[in-house]
Amino acid sequence: MIKAKQKPIAEIKEMIAPYKKVLILGCGTCVTISFAGGEKEVGLLASSLRIASTMEGQDKTFAEATVQRQCEWEFIDAVADQIKGADAVLSMACGIGVQALAERYPDKVVLPAVNTTFLGMAVEHGVLVERCRACGDCILGLTAGVCPIARCAKNLLNGPCGGSQKGKCEVNPELDCAWQLIYDRLGRLGQLDRLAKIMVPKDWSKDYDGGPRKIVREDLKL
Amino acid sequence: MSEKSDLPTLPKEPLPPCVVACPAHTDVRGYVNAIARGDFEEAYRLAREPNPLPYICGKVCAHPCETECRRSNVDEPVAICALKRFATERHDLRKGHAPGLSVAEPKEGRVAIVGAGPGGLTAAHDLARMGYKVTVFDANSKPGGMLQVGIPLYRLPRETIEIEVAPLKELGIEFITDRRITNVDALLADGYKAVFLAVGSHLGRKLRLPNADLPHVWLNLEFLRRAALGEKIDLSGRHVLILGGGNVAIDVARVALRLGAAEVAMTCLESCTMQPAHPWEIAEALDEGVQMFHDRTFKEIVAENGKVKGVRCVKVNFRGFLPDGRPDMDEFPETEHVLPADLVIFAIGQAPDLSFLPQDGSVAQTPRRTIQVDPRTQATTKPGVFAGGDAVTGVGFIIDAIAAGHRAARSIDAYLRGIDPATVQPPEPEKLDDLQQKTISHVRPLKREEMPKLQVKVRKTTFEEVDLGYTEAQAIRAAHRCLTCGAGASVNTDKCIACLTCVRVCPYEVPGLVRGTANVPVDQCQACGLCAAECPARAITMKLYSDEDMIKEIRNAVRRAKGNGEPAIVGFTCRYCAYAGEDADVVRARLPKNVRTIDVLCSGKVDALYLLKAFELGADGVFVAGCLDGECHNHKGNVHAGQRVAHIKGLLDEIGLGSARLEMFKMSPAQCADMAAAVGTLTAKVKELGPSPVRRD
Repeated sequence: MIKAKQKPIAEIKEMIAPYKKVLILGCGTCVTISFAGGEKEVGLLASSLRIASTMEGQDKTFAEATVQRQCEWEFIDAVADQIKGADAVLSMACGIGVQALAERYPDKVVLPAVNTTFLGMAVEHGVLVERCRACGDCILGLTAGVCPIARCAKNLLNGPCGGSQKGKCEVNPELDCAWQLIYDRLGRLGQLDRLAKIMVPKDWSKDYDGGPRKIVREDLKL
Repeated sequence: MSEKSDLPTLPKEPLPPCVVACPAHTDVRGYVNAIARGDFEEAYRLAREPNPLPYICGKVCAHPCETECRRSNVDEPVAICALKRFATERHDLRKGHAPGLSVAEPKEGRVAIVGAGPGGLTAAHDLARMGYKVTVFDANSKPGGMLQVGIPLYRLPRETIEIEVAPLKELGIEFITDRRITNVDALLADGYKAVFLAVGSHLGRKLRLPNADLPHVWLNLEFLRRAALGEKIDLSGRHVLILGGGNVAIDVARVALRLGAAEVAMTCLESCTMQPAHPWEIAEALDEGVQMFHDRTFKEIVAENGKVKGVRCVKVNFRGFLPDGRPDMDEFPETEHVLPADLVIFAIGQAPDLSFLPQDGSVAQTPRRTIQVDPRTQATTKPGVFAGGDAVTGVGFIIDAIAAGHRAARSIDAYLRGIDPATVQPPEPEKLDDLQQKTISHVRPLKREEMPKLQVKVRKTTFEEVDLGYTEAQAIRAAHRCLTCGAGASVNTDKCIACLTCVRVCPYEVPGLVRGTANVPVDQCQACGLCAAECPARAITMKLYSDEDMIKEIRNAVRRAKGNGEPAIVGFTCRYCAYAGEDADVVRARLPKNVRTIDVLCSGKVDALYLLKAFELGADGVFVAGCLDGECHNHKGNVHAGQRVAHIKGLLDEIGLGSARLEMFKMSPAQCADMAAAVGTLTAKVKELGPSPVRRD
């Protein structure tokens, strides 16, 4: 799922400085699960900004709302009146939600309150880690279910590199070396022979290098 | 039916076993929780609402609630009865006996109640509140029935009865005492539109044994009555043997001891484990020196020259009573023996005196010679005549009679308004399921508070009350043992996104997923509140407190903390530990006026938002007081509270208000008094920082 992290309060304060009536709009899906922009975080951010605003002698107002998914027109339209009534919408959704708002409400100032960080999961409660780079050309079938694109600092297709030390990555000694993980798992699966084959370069045009991507399902179109 | 605020409608969800077991369905969970929070007046209000005799029940109720208490699966039941007593002792009677209960406009129709025992008093109370003119007749000189003439004084001081009866008189109920009703039809002819027969069960009975009619062979109820009414019966030097093993037999034995008997023994058919008296009553009697002889049947009162010498007994293996009432047992050969005594008191049961019922049989009796009623409505076979209590059940608990009184009052009201009484009775509540072993294994065992009692050697010489009641600290500790069954978390499935936070944080492993959303099984939840405080979707609410209530409390606390010229400090204090026990009052007294505390049951319930809200509303400093690591009632509520405090401290720094204004104190109940010092340090620090720039006053 999409993981995000709230921006520093100072940055948010600066963004909202020109606006008096601010709607803090949470999203009830990915960012809720990543503890960044759900209804609870909306409450905490609203309270923080009220405190900050009062401290600075401003008379800003902060309305609060959370929709099920900000990346769907239907859900954001459910709070259309609140959006229209605000000088700016401070979105706590991922970048998709922010853009969906901006697209749906072309005249409205929409500001991001979180940094959309990665696609990942919680390995333990409160600890979120990256697992996928959405490269558009999945090779997990070749790498024993461990992604070297998302989890190797160098995105190596043929690893490990010389920086793999005792199973850790030279870039960050807290990080597991993805290629060590791949090696270990291939061994467990009895597929170590796969490492003898050099992986050819990936088709990066399916990644961002090919420009913004689009999926069209002709069979589903209305 | 809005005027029936004293007969509250029960919630439809499954209720805790204590509430279901109470015949009056008292909100036990509610009042125990209120005591745990330190809100004693609310506890009294809840205990009083369905029960016009809470002072009496707090002392002598047989408390079927405790028998069903689910904490028994962990260690011992919560001391519910003693807590009710505590709530009544703390209640300020100047606020009225029944705070919040209304009285309806006067209605047409006079009602006669025959018998001023618990059933009669309850029906009278309810009907008077509904607006009816009620007259209560009683054969004794004071109201109370068996409470007045049966229950020994050392269990129920008669002033307690006065406390309950006085407000009934204030309700306008007319009491006509020293009047034995002998003609039910005459009452109806006299203008009473309905009659409630609650005459109790005041006749003792003897077995037909040789010499049973000697002068020194007495009857249980007659003996208790004489003693209760203050007759000076001198038993000094006497050897008393009581035949019977029930609660009344125990009362007889303990009264005999107090009247100076040299030796008091009880003997009964039942074995030690089958003895019908409550175990705690048996224990008290044994403590006082009453001897028990089990497994015996009685053959003869042995007498010499008209003087009782003992009772000839044979040992038996009693298995219970057969449907026809005969004991199911075998006598052991060659076990005949005489238990010596010079006074024998039969305590083998009791029956109502129904000689006053109409001779035409219009008020029918059961084969057991009790009044026959429809158990749903308490209606007898005669229209307009209702009955309840021991006269119907033979012998029951006080709280059974109270419940019957409520039913009868509803029925009489319906009858007088021309409605079928069967249609106005509330359905029986549904009971929560049992605790699962997994849940039980996570609940911290907590020792049951012993009821302070009069010293045994003093007890035997006086009719002074034996139970002395809990201190505040004891009551709070006792109330903290409640598992708050069924009042825990509920999930708004429209908001839940199955993030699994609740599943992961619950210290009791209760939540799970059902059809894609979180589910907190109501019968397992321990109401610790961690899931609600951690839920990122705010999809979980707790039954006994809400965010709205808490924010209101924070607002009040901040307002009261201000205006003292000192920094306004708001504290969230855990009643389980940091702010529990003996020292809660002491600390509260020591905390200056600028420090206001909001009591919570576990610091894990203190949502991060509450901390920010306190600052948003103008607090200069905020603290959370929880217990020491490893000592949390809910295992790790304090850990989560600490993490939240650390997180909000970070935010406060970011905002520029400063993290030094927020602190978490961890302390054990024993260190409770240290809190004043810790708060003092925080206050000094906040003073240095100056008033919160958020304050606008």
